[in-house]
Amino acid sequence: MIAPAERLSIRLTVNGRVIEREIAARRSLADFLREDLGLTGTHVGCEHGVCGACTVLVDGESARSCLLFAVQLDGATVTTIEGLTPPEGLSPIQQAFCAAHAMQCGFCTPGMIVATTELLRTNPAPSPGEIREALGGNLCMCTGYVNIVRAVAQAAAALRGGAGESS
Amino acid sequence: MTEPAGAARWVGTALPLKEDVRLVAGRGRFIDDIGQSGQLHAAILRSPHAHARIVSIDARPAAALPGVAAVLTGAEVRRLSGPIRPLIPTTAVVSDYCLAVDRARYVGEPVAAVAAVDRGAAEDALELIRVEYDPLPAVVDPEEALQPGAPLLYPELGTNVVWHDTLTYGDVDGAMARAHGVLRERFTIQRYASTPLETFGAIAAYDPGLDAFEFWTNDQRPGLTISILSASLGVPQSRIRLSCPDIGGGFGNKRRPAYLLICALLARAAGRPVKWIEDRIENLTALMHACNGVMDVELAYQADGTLLALSVRDVADEGKNLVTPSQHNLIKLGNIANGYRIPAIRYEAWSVLTTKCPSGANRGIGKPFMCFAIERAMALLARRLGLDPAELRLRNYVTADEMPYTTPPGAQYDSGDYPATLRRALECFDYAGWRAEQARARRGGRLLGIGIATSIEPAGTNLASYELLTGRRTVSGSAEAAMVRMEPDGHVRVAVGDPSSGQGYETVIAQIVADELGLTPGAVTVARGFDSATTPWLYLSGNYSNKFSVTDVGAIVGAARQVANKLRRLAAHRLEIDPGDLELRDGAVVVRGVPDRRVTFAELARTAYADVLGLPPGEEPGLESRHAHQNPLAAPVDANRRVRSQLVFSNAAHCCLVEVHPRTGVVTLLKYLVAHDCGREMNPLIVEGMVHGSTVHGIGAALLEEFRYDQQGQFLTSTFLDYLKPTATEVPTIEVERLEHPSPFTPLGAKGVGEGGAIPGPAAVANAVEDALAAFGVTIRSLPITPERVWRWMRPGAA
Amino acid sequence: MKPAPFRYARPKNLADAVEILASADHDVKILAGGQSLVPMLNLRLVRPAVLIDLNGVPGLDHITPGADGGLSIGALTRHAALADSAPVIERAPLVAEAARHIGHPAIRHRGTLGGSLAHADPAAELPAALVALGAELVLHGPRGARTIQAPEFFRGLMTTALPPDEILIEIRVPPQGPGWGFAEVVRRAGDFALAGVVALVGRPPGSSERCDSARLVGFGVGDRPVRFAAAEEILTGQGGDPGAAVARAASAAAEACDPPDDVHASAEYRRHLAAVLTEEAVRQALTRLDGARPA
Repeated sequence: MIAPAERLSIRLTVNGRVIEREIAARRSLADFLREDLGLTGTHVGCEHGVCGACTVLVDGESARSCLLFAVQLDGATVTTIEGLTPPEGLSPIQQAFCAAHAMQCGFCTPGMIVATTELLRTNPAPSPGEIREALGGNLCMCTGYVNIVRAVAQAAAALRGGAGESS
Repeated sequence: MTEPAGAARWVGTALPLKEDVRLVAGRGRFIDDIGQSGQLHAAILRSPHAHARIVSIDARPAAALPGVAAVLTGAEVRRLSGPIRPLIPTTAVVSDYCLAVDRARYVGEPVAAVAAVDRGAAEDALELIRVEYDPLPAVVDPEEALQPGAPLLYPELGTNVVWHDTLTYGDVDGAMARAHGVLRERFTIQRYASTPLETFGAIAAYDPGLDAFEFWTNDQRPGLTISILSASLGVPQSRIRLSCPDIGGGFGNKRRPAYLLICALLARAAGRPVKWIEDRIENLTALMHACNGVMDVELAYQADGTLLALSVRDVADEGKNLVTPSQHNLIKLGNIANGYRIPAIRYEAWSVLTTKCPSGANRGIGKPFMCFAIERAMALLARRLGLDPAELRLRNYVTADEMPYTTPPGAQYDSGDYPATLRRALECFDYAGWRAEQARARRGGRLLGIGIATSIEPAGTNLASYELLTGRRTVSGSAEAAMVRMEPDGHVRVAVGDPSSGQGYETVIAQIVADELGLTPGAVTVARGFDSATTPWLYLSGNYSNKFSVTDVGAIVGAARQVANKLRRLAAHRLEIDPGDLELRDGAVVVRGVPDRRVTFAELARTAYADVLGLPPGEEPGLESRHAHQNPLAAPVDANRRVRSQLVFSNAAHCCLVEVHPRTGVVTLLKYLVAHDCGREMNPLIVEGMVHGSTVHGIGAALLEEFRYDQQGQFLTSTFLDYLKPTATEVPTIEVERLEHPSPFTPLGAKGVGEGGAIPGPAAVANAVEDALAAFGVTIRSLPITPERVWRWMRPGAA
Repeated sequence: MKPAPFRYARPKNLADAVEILASADHDVKILAGGQSLVPMLNLRLVRPAVLIDLNGVPGLDHITPGADGGLSIGALTRHAALADSAPVIERAPLVAEAARHIGHPAIRHRGTLGGSLAHADPAAELPAALVALGAELVLHGPRGARTIQAPEFFRGLMTTALPPDEILIEIRVPPQGPGWGFAEVVRRAGDFALAGVVALVGRPPGSSERCDSARLVGFGVGDRPVRFAAAEEILTGQGGDPGAAVARAASAAAEACDPPDDVHASAEYRRHLAAVLTEEAVRQALTRLDGARPA
């Protein structure tokens, strides 16, 4: 049995890359991604799990990276906004967000994209009410959500119609 | 100003935003994404008391903790730095430093600071600092705070009142005496704030060789902040560099030079850069709240509802704000008449300190409360007179043919058709249809309510209005500076002293310059943020007061036209033709009517930068211009204490439909429509986004948001679990209808759009809920409208 | 806000978890979903010396239908799994409904049933649902496993019968009848309730009159889930007009509450909601008993 420790080694996959690090137990996944891995697209807005700015995918499911310690992720797969952005251009969801101007300051946007990605994987034709409910855990202080809901509906249509090509 | 050199092809189009492309991929660079080599991280120890003498601070155990590089307390701050210079120099002159020195005056006030290897270590160190406090009585109610005998934040002032004055325009008492009636009502507003999702932050670095400081921050008022930093640090402005990266929302919240001073002093002490990122608790507790307050309104009217006079007594609770006190009062005065013709106006202002978080210029700066009071009073007056609320307003609006119209306190409404805006809103909302539906629903036991609120929305602030407070002028006008540079390759770079916090400047500025120079927006790069070393700037520079259209645009257009004129002169010399025969089109200077006779920008830039012998005689090298524009509407306070405190005026009409649950009091917003006129829309996508977002801020203030304190000044709402922001499930789609009455007084006819719905939103929602509860005879005088309050209003005997 | 330093362990089996728990001198917190605990760590409201991450222990995350028609649910089962699980929806739909109301998708992916129970927030949905269902909790410690009934588990404000050296590992839910109702008032979707009521109601077959069984439990209206015993008796008792019984039961429920006063609502309003929501939950249950779907 391994004794409790203040620093631990972890091995996890982030955006398809295997990462091995030794880190402090209290380091949040959000801080680990941002500072240790330079993946600053994931943002921190509250550190108590309410605002959703830090949302990433852990083993394919959305999670608040401010409420996870990086040491918990040994053996796990994490996808951030960087991993949801194609090497060239933008994904259909991202294109829809741009076309609809579904952001202003952009701080909530990565979390919104992650939440949208998860929604459309499980519900390819969501109603506006379902969209609002799925994104209810992601605060936006700028847009009033109107264009975000439009963008998600447009992205859903694009994904249903175009089988996911990016430009 | 003369017409643009190119055809107006880009201004007015709903061009998708350039910055959205990087933001949607997580490629923005916000303050916490930036780091300096070797940087330390700061944490701040904050007062747990609302009011207390600081008897002693022993920070030695903190300094001794491994990983800690520097510790700062108030005593050191007073030794190492000068007091913070206020923006609004009121008659109350006391010294304020970046840390509390002798006293803490609100829960959360910074008392000490630590710089360490990481934030966790810094917070560990804070716990080792021993502070001995001697608690003093708190004062949390502004009306108590202004009474003699109240606990004083500054005993040396002898009062908590920073400003008390009465400004009278016209014969108010006479009008009251003659009136058919006077509606008297008292309204209160709670503390709330727009709380951008990104918190405040700064990095400071000190170069001991140059005795110079460098800052990176998301501060919205770089011009003001640099001035304060320089004065407090004792370093001339030429040895301070401040830059802003992407800013994750501002809404007036991101302004606190004290935090930059803390970082600067720690950096100088530690010999390494110091970064501080505010956490959410700190943000909600201690950054800034919009003033709460009390307003007594007297509205004199004729029998047909024509308004004769308005008298307002306004008590604004500033918390511990010594940098910009009374700002809310001044802005309210400047907008007091809303869109109405009111011949006589009196305004009694109280600006009062209390032991709470400092107030600040949150979106609307006092206008939400002013509009709430006036629009609520209009709703009540309509009820009293048995008039439809729309009809009462239509009888009293300043009309389009009266424009420009000056209100008694001196505000000049430049253009707009307020009756048309309201009519459009009502028609598109289907007001008549919903009134019928409301009656049907009532028979079925459902409580539907329809609310209307209309407002002016000003842009720009003329700082000369501060003279009303002190009787002397130290700052004035409204201005901004910009640079347009055509690079040696013919591509264009623009910088403006106003850092965007989500308003799409990189795109709309590119549209403006593209039109001026006959280019596409893709050929124009607008510098992100702000950099005092390379961006032109003034003390007045910054991201505040909706000023983009009234100052920034003028600076940008002015600089662009200078470049355009130079391009024409260079081409005229090259082509041996009169510059008046030349136009700028598609990246070249072209002889009008002879498209083959042209010189490309790249070719002219080569001459200007490299082959300078080819320049016309007397023409200097380069293709770069700087221009600063001050809005000509700003003028000093006149002998009758009238002033244009804000400069051009958009207007809007809000209609909303709510349903109230008859047993729980839960309010659901079913429909919300805004008819909006911001003059010429430079980019309709940006405009519509601003209308959506600002309206949701208004809805949040109406239904959800309240910063609360107990009687001892303890702060009760320090997380997002307790301070409730609207989510996507609470707000309906905000429908937008647009009208366009350009301003005659701005270079492109555009007006302000950023504050928008934050102003009439609270009144619209309150009017709707009151309408839903008409059978209960409820009068709504305060916010937020929580389910519990609604339940209480519905109880028998409550009215 | 960064937590105070702690040591972290991720045991690979239950025995190791129990051993670390015993050796850490009670200055330990168990990390399951973390959706309630980690904010408290970040705010430094709790500062354990040791954090035991239970997510590496196999066998704690399962939904197993029982031969009796009930369910055995591992303590580490996520809220999202409860909400979407066919056996839960079929055998204990009240639990699925409660789980659906918790937070938002990201919260539900991590938050666990065991964590919710051990945290014992009086405004939480799952504790009330399990008290109403008469669930049995299985605790595991140095002396092996033992069970405790859900109502005895909740002792006070954020306080349970879970001793410092034991771990909640399983929740056994008896079969649930078709007459169930769930009603709550929240400020925003996904928030903790201002108040809520769960109702389980039974009626003799073919009868549209008096109920013969009733379990009514309120949340957000006391320092723990509140069983409205007097209200239950009104619903199942003889005498009086059955039609008016629901309203009288609602009043009795309100009287049984001792709700908190806080920034979100007063005790008085919560008591009023208890009455309104009792009626609502009971009407839903009766509608379901009639084979219809509530509005």
